[in-house]
Amino acid sequence: MSILVKGVTAGYGRDRAIVENIDLTIATGEVTILIGPNGCGKSTLLKTIGRLLKPRTGTIHADELDVLRNHPKRVARTIAYLPQSPVVPTAITVEQLVGYGRAPHQSLLGLRSPRDIELVDQAIAATGLAELRFKPVAELSGGQRQRAFIAMALAQDTPYVMLDEPTTFLDIKHQVETLDLVRQLHGAGRTSIVVLHDIAQAARYGDRLVVMHEGRIVAEGKPTDVVTPELIRNVYGLDCEVYADPVSGTPVVTPR
Amino acid sequence: MSAVVHAPARPRSRLRGLVLIAVLAVLVIAAALWSLSVGAVPIPTQTIINTLFNLDGEQQTYIIMKSRLPRMVLALLAGAALALSGAIIQAVIRNPLASPNIIGINSGAALFALVLVLVFPDIPQVWMPLAACIGGLVAAAFVMVVAHYRNLSAIHLALIGVAVGFVFEAGVDYLLIVSNDSESSAPMIWLTGSLWGRTWAHVAVSWLPLVVLSAVALLLSYRLDLIALGEATATGIGLNVPRQRLLLLLVATLLASVSVAVVGVMGFIGLMAPHIARRLVGGSHRLMLPVAALVGMLLVVLADGIGRAIAPPIEVSAGILAALIGAPFFIYIMLTTTSEQDS
Repeated sequence: MSILVKGVTAGYGRDRAIVENIDLTIATGEVTILIGPNGCGKSTLLKTIGRLLKPRTGTIHADELDVLRNHPKRVARTIAYLPQSPVVPTAITVEQLVGYGRAPHQSLLGLRSPRDIELVDQAIAATGLAELRFKPVAELSGGQRQRAFIAMALAQDTPYVMLDEPTTFLDIKHQVETLDLVRQLHGAGRTSIVVLHDIAQAARYGDRLVVMHEGRIVAEGKPTDVVTPELIRNVYGLDCEVYADPVSGTPVVTPR
Repeated sequence: MSAVVHAPARPRSRLRGLVLIAVLAVLVIAAALWSLSVGAVPIPTQTIINTLFNLDGEQQTYIIMKSRLPRMVLALLAGAALALSGAIIQAVIRNPLASPNIIGINSGAALFALVLVLVFPDIPQVWMPLAACIGGLVAAAFVMVVAHYRNLSAIHLALIGVAVGFVFEAGVDYLLIVSNDSESSAPMIWLTGSLWGRTWAHVAVSWLPLVVLSAVALLLSYRLDLIALGEATATGIGLNVPRQRLLLLLVATLLASVSVAVVGVMGFIGLMAPHIARRLVGGSHRLMLPVAALVGMLLVVLADGIGRAIAPPIEVSAGILAALIGAPFFIYIMLTTTSEQDS
């Protein structure tokens, strides 16, 4: 039971490939975090697994399910994918947005079953949005919006959840709230794959880090094993020191 | 934001939506009956009701049955079709300014229908909607292909649509000028969005496609909700976005094109009706689409009736009046809606 990426090469239009010949196994029950410098291909890889971008070569499987060949709706019952800064729909309430997460389990008409209602209620409760349930998403603050979209992915009730830079544009408190939510997902038995920019946050919240550089995976493993001054120098070109976070004991990078 | 937790606001209940639909339906029926009574020969409402149930004298029966009833039916059909088309296009392109006009559909349909009328004057009415559909599809396809090929944003798409629309409009103007004889005055009136001189023949060629397409649009309303979330989010929840986008735009294009073939260009309805509906019932298309359709019907029927009532026997085009009635209301709505587009 895992996501298996094999020999994936992907890029946009006819331009040079952004990610090349990627092999990656995402084990279930872990929070895997993709990090790397701007343009390293981490978001592109996530988009490819999320079916937003068709790879030029390679295969992607999730629990034996061929992600690239199966109907999008079927795949969406296994993998939830939340893009970076999703479009905020006009005049849609939090409850309605979270309800859309049930779409892959519903017919064309989107009629709700008791199970749908139950899962929407659970997702709203888990993300602490009960008070905002009937508010338009467009009127929420950035952190609340992010929670609403995560609630939508929760309601999708998939074993795998992928989040592309969920903390971008949030202040530090909302970043922490969002990442705590990711840990909660993990507690609820889900496997999550998250793209993050901040190395310290990635090390603190991830069970496993995957480091990308120039379209390839250059390191993967436990945060304490992966985040070293050598790796940071090679990948980011930054001369730095690594010390243990006084609270969590996970590695933190500070420039020299 | 603030730490104070507010109690949840009361939900827009489903009941409220249904009541609104019922109220709108009653208004549409009242407006339709009124529109039968006004014009060069005013006819009392009682007579109209008697006529509809076959109880009255011949002259009134003739005017109502041969002239005003087909107009009214067309006004209802076209009003609903244009509103639905606009609502679909706004959701798919995710641009509040979008409408069938903006992506060039109306002008394309008008040009092709006009070519048919001028070049083959003897051709039966049946072919008008078909020619218009081809024109609408050509315009929409051109805009879509260009946008898809260059992977353009919604704003670029709208700008290209405006440009394509102008090209087709130039074609329409050119044809009207070069064929400057008595024959061209009829198309001229029709193109301003008029129901003047519409007969049962026009109803006969358009009612079936418009009813079927409207039903399809209503069936697809939930998918509109999903596609309005944008390509990335919609893909994540299992929508085949390119395919659905194509299907929805096809339905929208055909709806607008058939309307143009029978009632001419009424650009404002497709822009305004969806906005009014969204303001009334929110953005969930299962409720918003039927409300938009009713608002569209109401606007066109009222515009046609008022156009006949102002200075009989002269008629003012429904398209022009719809814009005149709708624009102030539309501006009011825009001014009182909190900006949700930013971010």
